[in-house]
Amino acid sequence: METKTQLTEEELVARAQKGDHQALSQLVIDYRSRIYHLGLRLTGNEQDAEDMLQEAFLIMVKKIHQFKGNSSFYTWLYRIAVNIGLRKLKSKPLKYQHVSIDDPDIEYISSIETAEWPTFDFNQVSQKHFRKKLDQLIEKLPEIYRTVFILRDLHELSTEDTSKILQITPSNTKIRLMRARNFLKEELEKLVDKEGLI
Amino acid sequence: MKNNSELHKQICEYLGCDLNSEPCKQIQDHMAKYPNCGVYVDKVKKTVNLYKTIDNCDDIPENVCTKLFTSLNIDDVSKSDKESAG
Repeated sequence: METKTQLTEEELVARAQKGDHQALSQLVIDYRSRIYHLGLRLTGNEQDAEDMLQEAFLIMVKKIHQFKGNSSFYTWLYRIAVNIGLRKLKSKPLKYQHVSIDDPDIEYISSIETAEWPTFDFNQVSQKHFRKKLDQLIEKLPEIYRTVFILRDLHELSTEDTSKILQITPSNTKIRLMRARNFLKEELEKLVDKEGLI
Repeated sequence: MKNNSELHKQICEYLGCDLNSEPCKQIQDHMAKYPNCGVYVDKVKKTVNLYKTIDNCDDIPENVCTKLFTSLNIDDVSKSDKESAG
């Protein structure tokens, strides 16, 4: 977060609710990057991410007086942004064909010979080609799994906050996250075998 | 690569269990019997870490920020801070 003032988030929200533009501006600064990147991941393109960012903060400015503090402020804001992102996704044709998402097959995992991965060379990550491949893998995930993976693993929201935002149960969140992680791990494994990326 | 005992401890912590609880004992027994499961967990963790590495949330294009504040009709206090400092 980019907080530059000494005020806590609660104090900023309280001031913003009373119409303090500086507090409002600080809240935008604190969350604009995270919301923009959430939009990039959810929608997969810059224009939609920018639209989502503007729409989310316009709603925040308009409705901040309705925020009661029942959840943390960022959970409230994320919920607004995720709803906008999901609505945008639904309005567009699917980019990828249906992919099957399964639970990890514990018996299979236990019985096969599995080669270990050494630690990834993160210098590889900066290579455009590799990043693009990783982005394509995450975009292959069906929306219900991708959103959980983005919120839980990339934006590090708690299971409870993710469940509240997506309006699903915590156990459903955990199941979706497990399947998303398993899918990405399997796909990355194929990529590693095919392209020798490690 | 972490050994299975370390992974077992981390899985139990992740699950929020006491290390001596029945679920943890079961995980420990399972991983002692099937080391490939430890390899599997390690690979999942490396996959997640890889995605965290590429997902740099710190930057946002300048023109996107400018348009955002214009649409909100409020001033960007980070810019007025810089101007007053300069």
